[in-house]
Amino acid sequence: MNPINPINPIRSSPEPLILARGLTRSYAVGDGAVIGINAVDLNIPAGEMVVLKGNSGSGKSTLLALLAGMDRPTGGELTVAGHTLSAPGGVDFTRYRREVVGMVFQSFNLLPTLNVLENVCLPALLAQKPAAAVRAKALELLEWLGLTPRLKHNPAQLSGGEMQRTAIARALINDPALILADEPTGNLDSRNGRIVIDLLAQLNRRSGRTVVVATHSDLADELATVRIRLRDGAIADPPCHG
Amino acid sequence: MPRLTFFLRLFLWFSVRHMRRHLGRVLVVLFGIALGAAVFTSVRLSVHASLQSFMRSMDFFAGTAEKVLVRPGGHVPESVMPSLLAHPAVKGFSPLLTTYVRVVPAAGGAFLLVGIDPLLDQPFRAWRLRGARADASERWLDLIREPKTVVLTEPLAREIGTVSGARVTLDHSCSRAEFRVAGILVPEGLALVEGGRVALVDIATFQEFTGLLGVLDRIDIRFKAKTTQKEIEDLAGKLPEELELRSPSAARDSGSAMIRAYQLNLSVLSFASLFVGMFLVYSLVALNAASRRRELAILRALGASPRLLFNLYMAEGALFGLCGWLLAIPLGTLLVKYLLHSVSQTISTLFVRVHVEGLALSPAEVFISFGVTLFVAVAAAFQPAREAMGVAPKEAMEIAHSGAPHRRQAGRLAAWAAGCLIACVPLALMPGLSGVPLPGYIAILLLFVGFSLTAPWILENLGRALAPLLRRLAGMPAYLAARYLRDSGARTSISVGALITAVALFTALVVMIHSFRQTVELWVRQTVSGDLFVTTKLGQVNRFRFPIPEEITARLPALASGADLVPSRRYPLSYGDLPYEFEAMGMEEFLTHGGFVWLKGDAEALRPVLVNGEGLLISEVFAYRTGLGPGDTFRAWIEGSRVELPVAGVIRDYRTDGGVVFYSWRHFKERFHDPGWSGVRFYFRDRGADIEGKTAALREAIISRWGERLDMISGKELREAVLRIFDETFAITTVLLLIALAVAALGITTTLTVLVLERARQLSTLLAVGASFRQVRSMICWEAAFLVAAGEAAGLLCGFILSYLLVFVINRQSFGWTFLYTVDGGALALSVPLIVLTALAAALPAVRKAVGQR
Repeated sequence: MNPINPINPIRSSPEPLILARGLTRSYAVGDGAVIGINAVDLNIPAGEMVVLKGNSGSGKSTLLALLAGMDRPTGGELTVAGHTLSAPGGVDFTRYRREVVGMVFQSFNLLPTLNVLENVCLPALLAQKPAAAVRAKALELLEWLGLTPRLKHNPAQLSGGEMQRTAIARALINDPALILADEPTGNLDSRNGRIVIDLLAQLNRRSGRTVVVATHSDLADELATVRIRLRDGAIADPPCHG
Repeated sequence: MPRLTFFLRLFLWFSVRHMRRHLGRVLVVLFGIALGAAVFTSVRLSVHASLQSFMRSMDFFAGTAEKVLVRPGGHVPESVMPSLLAHPAVKGFSPLLTTYVRVVPAAGGAFLLVGIDPLLDQPFRAWRLRGARADASERWLDLIREPKTVVLTEPLAREIGTVSGARVTLDHSCSRAEFRVAGILVPEGLALVEGGRVALVDIATFQEFTGLLGVLDRIDIRFKAKTTQKEIEDLAGKLPEELELRSPSAARDSGSAMIRAYQLNLSVLSFASLFVGMFLVYSLVALNAASRRRELAILRALGASPRLLFNLYMAEGALFGLCGWLLAIPLGTLLVKYLLHSVSQTISTLFVRVHVEGLALSPAEVFISFGVTLFVAVAAAFQPAREAMGVAPKEAMEIAHSGAPHRRQAGRLAAWAAGCLIACVPLALMPGLSGVPLPGYIAILLLFVGFSLTAPWILENLGRALAPLLRRLAGMPAYLAARYLRDSGARTSISVGALITAVALFTALVVMIHSFRQTVELWVRQTVSGDLFVTTKLGQVNRFRFPIPEEITARLPALASGADLVPSRRYPLSYGDLPYEFEAMGMEEFLTHGGFVWLKGDAEALRPVLVNGEGLLISEVFAYRTGLGPGDTFRAWIEGSRVELPVAGVIRDYRTDGGVVFYSWRHFKERFHDPGWSGVRFYFRDRGADIEGKTAALREAIISRWGERLDMISGKELREAVLRIFDETFAITTVLLLIALAVAALGITTTLTVLVLERARQLSTLLAVGASFRQVRSMICWEAAFLVAAGEAAGLLCGFILSYLLVFVINRQSFGWTFLYTVDGGALALSVPLIVLTALAAALPAVRKAVGQR
């Protein structure tokens, strides 16, 4: 990895970055309801490296989807970086996803018809930033991540690690306050998994950016500043700091 | 601007690159929409070229005349000219005679010969000779000074291979004569009439040549400034009663109205090909939306708005429309070469004589063609684009998605369908608007929409009813297929709707064309019966205006002692704005050998009425357009005779779009005046012997005596020619039908592929729980069979209703005629296995996909 770090530092704020009170998401199934997460309270200051742990079905992905603005709560309150995600009409979710969060997925989710550089540029272009500046920024990020030789390659021509690094570059292109990673090592071998977790930790440490990683893996445990364990949609133990 | 740049960039990255990866299917869709656009555009352009040619011709011919004096069915006597000259309101007038002639020995076809008074005509029409002014004027005066001189247009001179100063022999219905070419006309004004196929002679020369001494076809009149309507009425009152003062634009307006109505009808028919192209675009855009659902979710997760996704898919439809239209240009260029001629021929046969030299590209027509193609393609993309809008960003987090949520709305859609189908009934009963069957077209649209909307209901109930039975008879794959389609939702139904539309179009057009042909065959057999038809030379092209000379008609019966003769005289007349033909014919002899195809009235009961001249028959078209029927009185001025006769019955006739009136020749002569014979047909009394041999012998006998003065055709040849023209007219429709079926089969392919892509997880689960590849294949084939069966059954039903609308509503409102409704069981029975096999073969790519995915 190139030692240059093109990530802009985030200014610290006394306000909590993530504030949740009684956060609930349930799904109607037939005549009944299935609970995704139930009455979750969170207070995460900016600059933390949060690791969400739990078994399958514990509610990790549901919580991440709510934080990412991809889903909406059915109960409780949720505020992220000053945006109230729980109030109806309280936020423009499209804009929120563009500007506030950067998302890293388990299955990379690169668009197959776009090459590496174009995939990385896409969120910034969606946010209508000037193309030249976006391209320059994307090139910097890709150089930092060691992907310069792969700029013109399509996702199908990349290894798993390269795809996930491309996805990380894409998550950073808009300088979001919050990076969310959903099982980022789930489709990677342990070496590449380690690299990805280290990168996320670097992002957190060097830029003060808040990173939330939902994972089964123990790779991130030692780097986490906050550890949250979910069970059956609720927080199993009080958040563990340090 | 930056937004547009970004959108175009994203469209290129996301959509165009995806299309490039699936070039095969994109090209098929493009070809489909291009073919539809090419057919639609070339049909419109071809009719437009005829319309333009006709209107230009009529405008040049009408010149600056303000009124035209005519005598319906006959000629205007020259003796009225002093009255015109003496009337204070008349500023000037120009007498005119026209006929079609040809050059002998034959060089090119017939062309228009116009007889004018070169001095009186100057203020009316623009025409001048080539060459220096003084020389041209000198030669121009030759027309008056020297008998048997003619001036020709340049294209005509080139065609017949002559030059100024040379001599040409012209052949006319009544005579043949040699003319000196006094000059060549500059291509302007009158010289542009009928595409330049026109020649001018002095009116006296014309009268001498054609034998029309002392009479004229018409007199064009100009009035002094500030002439009032009252003064014009005063002039009309001073003229003989049988003469009419008409507007010079009347013929142009009625002719162009007929061509425009014909254009609309052909446009609607050709739109069918674009309509099926629309389903093709829909299928592919829907396939793209379904197969890229995850990518759409990713875009949403990265901050793309629902509207952006909607726009991407609408742009995809627009790109198909644009490229399809561009591709249609070369296709249409090929097609228009074929259509230009056949359309102008049809217009000349049915409505008015047109001569189309080439294609005139009209910006309005280009715009209509582009606009309609683009609209159709974008409209086709609308539903998939809306579905793309609904993709949730959260789907990006799923490892494998379970497909689009299915909506259960069959009952609601069936209620809408019932509404649409019920609305068809009053619309079908409404009259057309200005000759355009607009309510009928709306009824057809509602019929298609109604049947397409019933598709979910049909599938749901078919699946529910058949699933248990199929489990017992064909095992689990058939059962699962029936259950899946029962719940498959709107997408499947839309493809079944496409198949319903294609099958319905196929069925309806097969029924309509078959009914039409059967009726025309019957009409040809009965009404166009006869062993030999004889007319004056160029009789057809001159609309039988010139009678056969008496010296010939007197001697014809002696030549065919074993035959009965049916003389006839046709008059081209107008009933208000409706041009029609009045035919006086040897009724008794005709009814002995031939007959009419009756619509209203009893043939046997009315026979004495017709033979005794107590009533006349009107064609269905004439009855529909004029509102006359049995018991009403027909009134007309014919060659100066006031004809008032009761209508005895209504018969079918497909000769012209304007209708025909038949009356006894003998009684016309007794009651009104001697009409002469414009034609005669022979029937050999002894039907057992060699009719063809006898016909040939009679023909030879006539040729040896008056071969240069008469045109002849055997009844067999004439009937074959009529049916050949019919078959050629409908050849393009048959091609459209095949395209529609191919497109429908392609729709089934994409539907099945979408279904496979949408439930990748379900298929994997099936395999995981023990289903074999063979069973999965079998299940998909059963699904195809269900789709096809539902589409075919509903399509047939829809097709029969549509055929009824076409035969009894659209044709009646467009052309005024209907046909005897007959079903071509053979063609329909053949089509069923054809459609089933095509559609089942269309399941193969989906099967490959299903197995390949695993």
